[in-house]
Amino acid sequence: MTMTLEAVRTHAKVRKQLCGQVKKLLVDRLELEVDPEMIGDDQPLFGRGLELDSIDTLELAVAVQEELGVSITDDDNDCLLSLNRLVDHIEANR
Amino acid sequence: VTDVVLNADAIARLIPHRYPFLLLDRVVALSPGMSAEAIKNISVSDGMLAGHFPGRMLYPGVLLIECIAQLAAVIYGTEAQRDTGAGDAEVTDRVGYLAEVRQAKFFRPVYPGDQLIVTAHSGPRVGGLISVSGRISVDRDVVMTARLAVSQRPEQT
Repeated sequence: MTMTLEAVRTHAKVRKQLCGQVKKLLVDRLELEVDPEMIGDDQPLFGRGLELDSIDTLELAVAVQEELGVSITDDDNDCLLSLNRLVDHIEANR
Repeated sequence: VTDVVLNADAIARLIPHRYPFLLLDRVVALSPGMSAEAIKNISVSDGMLAGHFPGRMLYPGVLLIECIAQLAAVIYGTEAQRDTGAGDAEVTDRVGYLAEVRQAKFFRPVYPGDQLIVTAHSGPRVGGLISVSGRISVDRDVVMTARLAVSQRPEQT
């Protein structure tokens, strides 16, 4: 399917908003000591990225479920690799 | 009068906790894997109250958290029995561990004579961990709420 330039722009805008919302959710719910705007869209959530642990992952799943109505289960493990993957998952399932 | 879904002996068969650490008196509602409600009576004969505190007996908040954790063990133990047909001993062996306590709030002290209504609801499950939200009330007052993470099944060592 080909998108018009207008549709691409609209989608990009919505995507950017959602990314911002998820970054804020991450920082608020996991009490991270970083500025949400300093989190890159491609930043890994674990390891050298935001250094989340498995317990944070569970809290993130709870937060996404409560605030965006999207569930994350073990079958969706890939969506926890980076912020972009997580936002992909939310876009596809809400 | 409420229904007895699991009496104290049935609870003891399902979870490994024993005196003085088996805290729930009775389970009055149960949806395996989902939610449960239990009763705990606070009595002056509870040895814990002798030390907490002399002359000012009140039930320790950390044990209120433990009440919710034990009810979570009942929720997941009965789920495992339903799904796998596991026996009591097997379920008891596989009880999970407490992984996190979040947003524990204690609204008022709990005293001898109080009857606690403990409720727990199961939330999302990711990577072997389960989120549990719990609430304890006495009469119509909520006395504490907390969210826990418990491990689904600890590694065998």
